[in-house]
Amino acid sequence: MVNLTIDDKQVTAPKTATIYEAAKINGINIPILCHDKKLKPFGACRMCLVEVEQMKGRQIPACTTPATEGMIIRTSTPDIIKARKMVLELLLLNHPLDCPVCDKSGDCDLQNLTYEYKVNSNRFTDEKFNHEIDYNNPLIERDMNRCVLCGKCARICDEIVSFGALTFIDRGIDTKIGCEFDDPLNCEFCGSCISVCPVGALLARPFKHKARFWAMTKHTSVCGYCGTGCNVTLGVKDNKVLTTIYDEEQGFHKGQLCVRGRFGYQFINSAQRLSKPLVRKNGVLSESTWDEALEIVAGRLKGGSNVAALATPRLTNEELSLFKTMLLENVGTKNFDHAAGYAHAALTEGFARSFGATASSASILDIQKSDFLLVIKTDAYETHPVVGFEINMAVKNKGVKLSILSDKRGKLSKLPDAKTLVHRPGSEIALLNSIAKTILDEKMVDASAAAVAGYAELEKALSGFSAEAIAEQSGLNAADIKKLASEYASSEKALIIFPTGQAYTGHNAVLASALANLAIITGKYGKEGCGVLCLSEKNNSQGAVDMGFYPQDGGLNSVQILDACINGTVKTLFVAGENPLVSYPDRNKVKAALDAVEFLVVSELFLTETAAMADVVLPVCSYAEKEGTFTSTDRRVQFIKPAIRKSVQIKTDFEIFSDLITRLGGQPPLRPALQFEEIAANTPGYLGMNHVSLQKNGAFAPVITIPAFVAPQALTPVVSETGKLALVTGSALYHSGTLSQYGEGPMHVCPEGYIELSRSDASAYKIAENDLCTVSSATGSMQLKAKISLRMPAGVVFAPYHFSATPINSIWSGAPVTLVTLVK
Amino acid sequence: MNPITPIINGMAITLKHMFMKPVTLQYPDERPKVAERFRGLHGLKVSHSKAKCVACYLCPTVCPAKCITVEAGEDANHDKYATVYEIDMLRCIFCGYCVEACPVDALKMTGEFELANYSRQDFIYSKERLLEKQ
Ligand code: SF4
Ligand code: SF4
Ligand code: SF4
Ligand code: SF4
Ligand code: SF4
Ligand code: FES
Repeated sequence: MVNLTIDDKQVTAPKTATIYEAAKINGINIPILCHDKKLKPFGACRMCLVEVEQMKGRQIPACTTPATEGMIIRTSTPDIIKARKMVLELLLLNHPLDCPVCDKSGDCDLQNLTYEYKVNSNRFTDEKFNHEIDYNNPLIERDMNRCVLCGKCARICDEIVSFGALTFIDRGIDTKIGCEFDDPLNCEFCGSCISVCPVGALLARPFKHKARFWAMTKHTSVCGYCGTGCNVTLGVKDNKVLTTIYDEEQGFHKGQLCVRGRFGYQFINSAQRLSKPLVRKNGVLSESTWDEALEIVAGRLKGGSNVAALATPRLTNEELSLFKTMLLENVGTKNFDHAAGYAHAALTEGFARSFGATASSASILDIQKSDFLLVIKTDAYETHPVVGFEINMAVKNKGVKLSILSDKRGKLSKLPDAKTLVHRPGSEIALLNSIAKTILDEKMVDASAAAVAGYAELEKALSGFSAEAIAEQSGLNAADIKKLASEYASSEKALIIFPTGQAYTGHNAVLASALANLAIITGKYGKEGCGVLCLSEKNNSQGAVDMGFYPQDGGLNSVQILDACINGTVKTLFVAGENPLVSYPDRNKVKAALDAVEFLVVSELFLTETAAMADVVLPVCSYAEKEGTFTSTDRRVQFIKPAIRKSVQIKTDFEIFSDLITRLGGQPPLRPALQFEEIAANTPGYLGMNHVSLQKNGAFAPVITIPAFVAPQALTPVVSETGKLALVTGSALYHSGTLSQYGEGPMHVCPEGYIELSRSDASAYKIAENDLCTVSSATGSMQLKAKISLRMPAGVVFAPYHFSATPINSIWSGAPVTLVTLVK
Repeated sequence: MNPITPIINGMAITLKHMFMKPVTLQYPDERPKVAERFRGLHGLKVSHSKAKCVACYLCPTVCPAKCITVEAGEDANHDKYATVYEIDMLRCIFCGYCVEACPVDALKMTGEFELANYSRQDFIYSKERLLEKQ
């Protein structure tokens, strides 16, 4: 702590604080333009000038100068005000002053400061800039005439996003922000640069001229895409969500979002939303009334165990738990599941066995507090980009070491000193076991491990996994595996991160247990910066697990439910928000099941491929129209409330389940809040939570771990065949599940499916970028556009799974690695 | 007082007024000359055969009666313009704040005061009706 005097006030501040921070902590406001608390000090604008007595009254920038003991600082003497006015005058000299047509107006730092300092005339004259404006980019409009060269955009893109798309180009008076060689912007479109730009030089094109900042109401909510659970602020006008608004105080991520969260909101007010219940009459779906539709559904739900249900983990905790209650108590069936049945297995089976809990033993906040990160698959960045930002910051700012085990390289591999071990697809589990084996052999085992249940069995079962043996089948060399093992074991704090999801069938219970074994054997769990963090795919995937919406005591899982539809034992299938026809593996089988089942009811926002096959379609609300809670991947329970009024003709899933319960003779809770009371009372870790207390920042549901070793089974390695490529499925950065197809932003930058292959394969098969290739597997064949990239190893191809128009499940039947042939 | 006096006084005034210029306007045959600063129906100014309005939303923001509806759009040159500009004359209080707020001097108030109409819908003046006639 240092003591100093600011504006005649005695104050104290932490040793590391700058003058600006010291003043801010003590409630003294110093104006800033180029400074951002998330970024390193830069000192470009001189708005924050202050006088320090010890420096003979010289004016120095507060945002870059460290506060030192005994400093006497003045922040607003007439001289300083004069200097700041001059700074503004000089900035306004070349500024186009087109506030009336600039969408930043009302939220613009330059405008606000000009107003505050009453700069209403300019003593200087000069020409205005005449930079070309980039109107062509679908998401980010760049008007460098408005730029004040604060450098925030370039700095955030480098320091946090770690993409490095923007930089200062040209020199002197011509200096501007641009891409290398002044090329068009083609980046990951996270919009971070827009959010920090203090003026209207970078703007969200989808929001262009949609509304004035002051005319919108700002509703805080939780992003409805992935399990990171980022907080978002929705800008609403006339009951429409028009944009997302940056709030640097929001969430652990301080307002940072990814492309889906920031630009993918359009599905909420999409014109394609279903607006009335549909009932199949004479073979066609036709509009109906709620009463008729629900009466039909209720009638069909009286079938007991003939009934099965699949729900999306995008529903709220309240909806999932009410749905479960309805199925168990009012319908009388145990056949319900979510996320294709396997995407939650890492938690519900893997962690359940290894940690005695169906949740991760670490949180996202541990990433920056760790010393060593082991990421399984570079895809962790694509599935959870804002978690990726945390990894970027940990590596770049905190010096955390990063090692990656992956079947392809990726953005994380480019971080400073990141080590990527690219192994043959499908060999990750064997590799992890060999790391555990190395740790055992090299005596790097933690003292606590021997006492954990199953230690002896583990030792025995690992005997076949020596680094040498596994190196052969995984395409790595034994020395690298051993080095990784010793780095992991010797770090004081180490954290393992792996993504799960419907496209990651290999990230299953066995993988989760193998990872847990590593953490337990080295004692790296249950402490700050340690543990295994499973990144669950959807916004409420962890919630769906916590609510127990998966088969227990003999209920059928997703795969069995589809089988039972085909063989006729399941006669009524209730699909709440899932789109299995696109997102589950093996399209033929899903189609056969949906065809075969006697009665299919789908509750959905859109008439998806699955809904189009239904007998009754119920239009429901998006997350922006309902209230409830979502649980993020690290068990942060967060409250959402409606940002817009729902149309009178649609219902929330909660209302539908309540209504059905009434029709089935039960008594539903009146409000989601009451359902949550029940959840809080019955779910481990949720005790004491309620909607009111969760409103502000949400709360972590603690995870209590009881470690146990799970002995690995012998694995059969994936055999390669000559002339065939190994297809791995996954998520594309711009998408999450199938929902983001209805978000215009993601579709602007990634509109269709593709197959990504290495340069060497491309030249071997004579395939050029964007060529249409026929990809065939044992189960089918389809056409995909080729995308050639540096990150793929030879012999491996990647395809994202989100797209209805190019459903990858027509050639993929759920294996972690599918052998395919590629023909142009 | 002589009871006749008031009558005579009265008649004198009447007589005097018979030779004065009449105050009453024989509307609609005679029409008033409105002052230049009169605040009547709004007009959207035109320049280079385009409405000057750039859809900045300041007039709907300042309007105390909340009777102006503006919707902005982007034209072929990427310029901002009002795709919708409507004033609900039933709610307007003719305060003139909108004219004062306009940063580009796109709005004026004309001398037009005959705003009676047969249906409520007709009181909502669209952009076409408000555009200054050239
Ligand atoms: S959108 Fe994101 S990646 Fe693209 S330039 Fe801006 S900060 Fe960088
Ligand atoms: S574009 Fe915006 S953020 Fe980037 S330097 Fe210019 S003013 Fe700063
Ligand atoms: S999609 Fe995930 S990472 Fe992106 S903003 Fe939403 S919650 Fe955050
Ligand atoms: S004159 Fe006053 S009330 Fe009428 S439109 Fe203008 S601001 Fe509104
Ligand atoms: S204030 Fe002027 S420029 Fe702005 S919307 Fe109104 S008329 Fe148009
Ligand atoms: S805010 Fe300190 S120099 Fe810009």
